[in-house]
Amino acid sequence: MNHGMNRRQALLGILGLGGTVAGTLAAPAAAEEHPEHPVAPPDAVGMLYDNSICTGCKACMTACNEANGLPPDTSLSGGLWDMPLDLNSKTKNIIKLCEDPQGKDFAYVKRQCMHCLDPACVTGCPFGALKKNQWGAVTWTSSLCIGCRYCEVSCPFEVPKFEWDKWNPKVVKCEFCFDQRLKENMQPACTGVCPTGAVIFGKRADLLEQAKKRVAASPNKYFENRVYGEHEAGGTQVLYLSHVPFDKIGLPKLGSTSLGHYATKVTSVLYKWLSGPLIVAGLLGAVIKRNWSVHEAERPEVERRTGLKEQL
Amino acid sequence: MLGVLNNSAQVLETIDERLLRCGVSRRSFLQFCSSLMVAAPFGLSITDKKTPEEVAQGLGRVIRPPVIWLHFQDCTGCTETLLRTSHPDLGDLILNIISLEYHETLMAGSGRQAEEALQEAIAKYSGKYVCVVEGSIPKRDNGVYMKLAGRPAYQVLEDVGGKAAAIIAIGSCASWGGIPSADPDPTGALGVADLMPDKTIINLPGCPPNPYTLLGVVLQYASSGTLPELDHERRPKFAYDRDIHEQCPRRAHFDAGRFVKQFGDEGHREGWCLYEMGCKGPDTHAGCSTRHFNEIPDVWPIGIGAPCIGCTEKSIAFRVPMFQVVQIHTPATPPDTYAPIIAPQGSISPLATGVAGLAAGALLGAGYVASRKFSTVKGDEHIPGSSSSPTIGSDQNLRPPEQGK
Amino acid sequence: MNQFNHTGSTLVNHWQRGVPVYGEPVITRTLLFFAALAAVGLVLALVRFCSPLGPLSGMNDAYAWGIWKTFNVMTLTALGSGPLAVGMAAWVFNRRKLHVVMRTALVTGFLFYATGLIALGFDVGRAWNFWNVLLPWRWNSGSAMLEVAVCMPVYCGIFLAFENLPLVLERFYYKGPEATKQRLHRAAPVLRRIYPFMITGAYVLPLMHQSSLGGLLLLAGNKIDPLWQTPLLPLLYLLAASVAGLGFVTVILLFACLRYGRELDLDVLGELGNLLSVMCFAFLAVRFGDLVWRGQINAAFAFSKMSLLFLLEAALFLTPALVLRNKSARETPRILLNMGALACLGGMFYRFVPTTIAFNPGNNSVYFPALPELMMTIGFISLGIVGFGCAVKYFAILPGEIKDWNYMFTLAKRRRSPGPASGEKVWQTE
Repeated sequence: MNHGMNRRQALLGILGLGGTVAGTLAAPAAAEEHPEHPVAPPDAVGMLYDNSICTGCKACMTACNEANGLPPDTSLSGGLWDMPLDLNSKTKNIIKLCEDPQGKDFAYVKRQCMHCLDPACVTGCPFGALKKNQWGAVTWTSSLCIGCRYCEVSCPFEVPKFEWDKWNPKVVKCEFCFDQRLKENMQPACTGVCPTGAVIFGKRADLLEQAKKRVAASPNKYFENRVYGEHEAGGTQVLYLSHVPFDKIGLPKLGSTSLGHYATKVTSVLYKWLSGPLIVAGLLGAVIKRNWSVHEAERPEVERRTGLKEQL
Repeated sequence: MLGVLNNSAQVLETIDERLLRCGVSRRSFLQFCSSLMVAAPFGLSITDKKTPEEVAQGLGRVIRPPVIWLHFQDCTGCTETLLRTSHPDLGDLILNIISLEYHETLMAGSGRQAEEALQEAIAKYSGKYVCVVEGSIPKRDNGVYMKLAGRPAYQVLEDVGGKAAAIIAIGSCASWGGIPSADPDPTGALGVADLMPDKTIINLPGCPPNPYTLLGVVLQYASSGTLPELDHERRPKFAYDRDIHEQCPRRAHFDAGRFVKQFGDEGHREGWCLYEMGCKGPDTHAGCSTRHFNEIPDVWPIGIGAPCIGCTEKSIAFRVPMFQVVQIHTPATPPDTYAPIIAPQGSISPLATGVAGLAAGALLGAGYVASRKFSTVKGDEHIPGSSSSPTIGSDQNLRPPEQGK
Repeated sequence: MNQFNHTGSTLVNHWQRGVPVYGEPVITRTLLFFAALAAVGLVLALVRFCSPLGPLSGMNDAYAWGIWKTFNVMTLTALGSGPLAVGMAAWVFNRRKLHVVMRTALVTGFLFYATGLIALGFDVGRAWNFWNVLLPWRWNSGSAMLEVAVCMPVYCGIFLAFENLPLVLERFYYKGPEATKQRLHRAAPVLRRIYPFMITGAYVLPLMHQSSLGGLLLLAGNKIDPLWQTPLLPLLYLLAASVAGLGFVTVILLFACLRYGRELDLDVLGELGNLLSVMCFAFLAVRFGDLVWRGQINAAFAFSKMSLLFLLEAALFLTPALVLRNKSARETPRILLNMGALACLGGMFYRFVPTTIAFNPGNNSVYFPALPELMMTIGFISLGIVGFGCAVKYFAILPGEIKDWNYMFTLAKRRRSPGPASGEKVWQTE
């Protein structure tokens, strides 16, 4: 029987200890990647949509399709009109209507990617196909995507859509017209074409300020006198002002911590520099090595007694 | 009358000189220029000048271009449509703006006299005149189906068209063959561009085309010597870059889903969209939606309740049945239909449900049946059917265990 | 290996070592049935290889994960966590009785993982970009999906495969030509030297990815009903995996012994039952503790649809936990089977519900697998069954008695004939 530790056990122990030290030192740094209250990047752009101004003309839908080279979704109209029921693989931006059943009140809502400050889709994407790019735009890169659809599962706003009917499927969502317009110093197609200024483009900080001014100028016009997207899911770069309740226009009720923070607050500590696995490996390894040594020591006797080779 | 004019135009003269010689007053000319500024009731402005005086100044200096107008396998509809213009009227055009050297319908002479006039004009203005072609050119059987002065049409075209500065093919027939080229195409009718692809040709398809298109082309050529920008089918973009559907006055009915189902029904009387009656508007490039005919608003096929037949398009007119519905290539969003806030997705296949139920049931059933075979007695390790006897080849067990693993 | 020492027990030691199944041909009617199902599944998989995901599956943008991910991977690899649970019990916690059933756990675990990874391979929409896994600078370290995508194939292909290597090489050693025997003879000490390190990895890796499978659901946030959504999801998924793994090993041992006519060893099975009961209690403790801590305990008993699902799940865990505390129950075959099955169902239920039934994207959408999708799932499972059915006859996996051990590893081509009477030693020891 072996007593005490041999060289291998010592090595494993050191690994584990090292892992612990590394983990403890690194733990505070882990919190920075997904802070509880994300901060917008300094060049963060945004959109402000005010549904009390929107006339439902849907010019933004046509402009978006054109700027992004998307075909019209004519599946429901028998080929006649672009008539999607929701965001889908042909529609990055949609106007929806919320109607009071008595027909007395109604509200439009423009839905597209919210470009969250700490997006859940970016947190979950295994190879970073979805990433928070320049100006805070969340963009998708086809060469990094494996089509696992984790982004669809994780987005609280149900934004990313998958091309189920294509053999080479893309993940389709609004990217603030990043390649074709933002990079050319132009505003996105939808904000550029809106005839009433219901949706406008600008720096997030400026838009937030403007939105708050509008709320202050007309108390009780806007729901809860606040801007949706200021804190939702940690804050988004697309902001909403609505004269009807947010849940009526399909904007989900969300807390102010980002999903990325919630999902990684424990694992980011445990896995920092693989400290957790290394510690566990060290501990388990030490015990297993001891038991294995006992087993190996007993083996000749057992094999002699049974007359058979041992089965591992 | 034209012969007199021909004789006096030995040398090419400017429009100003011409007007002076013919005693047309400055005031009349200015009136003509104002009409040029808005050359049609519905939106074609031929010049971007701001006042008639400016137009007059520019136009006055223009040298009247000689024009030779050929008729081949035609119905003379394109000439007729030109006759129905009054802003400016045809008289002004042919007498003062251009120098019309040869036109079988309008000229006074005929027979040998007409042929002489043609040969003279070709010789005198070789390389300078504009040749307008109306009607298609037969090619089958050596082109015997249309002859002018004993020569087949294609030879006349080669001769006259060959020496022209530019050829304007007016009408669908001259552009791509038109009605004569419809199945079974007994004459082998072709358009000008099919026979002389290397010439400068402007196609003005239509059956008939809007006369202001021709006026626009001619006047641009006359005033600046340039031709308007053409598309891949050699049609001027200013008239043919849009399709009927884009600017159709009945578009609101299309967008709202109000379609005529039968000629004479309620919708037809209300002026609803003719898409389901086979209107070829979505596939037809022409300006008819905004520039109607005969200078009276709503005098055009759709306006009087007849679906567009696509008369400008080679692939549609006289080929696709009139009442066959076309595909919409650029669907836009309908103005009064909206997506709901909640749009459920997915469906449950009854067959799959059945199969899943079957599999689960089979598994649970088999598991239950098997479980009954296990003993409920504590400590009972016996399994029915087990035996302690070894199996076949047991005599080979006599080999002792070997060293190694 | 202390295969003979069962101190204080009156039970007979029927399980002494792994023994191949003799006396019946490999190709049986049952095997052919499952092989046919597997063939259907594989043909459909080939079609899926050349076709978009949409026509062959019922997945949509609201329910982007179908049964391939939520069942074949998340749920069945829990059943395949036998190597983790039994292995750790045997090698870390020194439950030496369990060594004899280790091979059964390893083979079933490997088959579950392999078929699960095959299903995963056909589920992803842009599989050709998976080569990015070889470029670590492209890894998004915060992503649980990345962890699963790296850890599971490494585990299955390297560590679990290594653990299964001895039982495969054993056959070659006894049946192969002299040259093979010599090579294996020389390789054996090397394998033995790295064995403890490999099995350390074989326990660390599943601890990581089985908990990451739960971690995946953290990002789904409010879309998962609050009765299931908790920061403790990774821990609970891990505990459920160990419950399901232990439960499945118990059940498969019982069914296999019934099917192939082997006597049971209630000593070993009782040990498994005991461990199962402990793990069920551990799971329930964390589960209920979590609900109380998050203030959801009232909702758990509100008898709404979700509450009833939860109570069913709790019952599936509680019943084996309580019943198997009783020593007599642990030594009764049918009770062991029923409790093991309940524990399996409980573990599967817990792993499956948050991804599907308790998953609500908020737009009244529905999901049910389409027929091709379902047939592929059944096909992959059948492939595992066929694999197991063949493996137990080719290799020494199922535990049996030493006297039944046959060095020749001969496969039966016809019905078995009687051999020497029982009890007679057929070989000499030194």
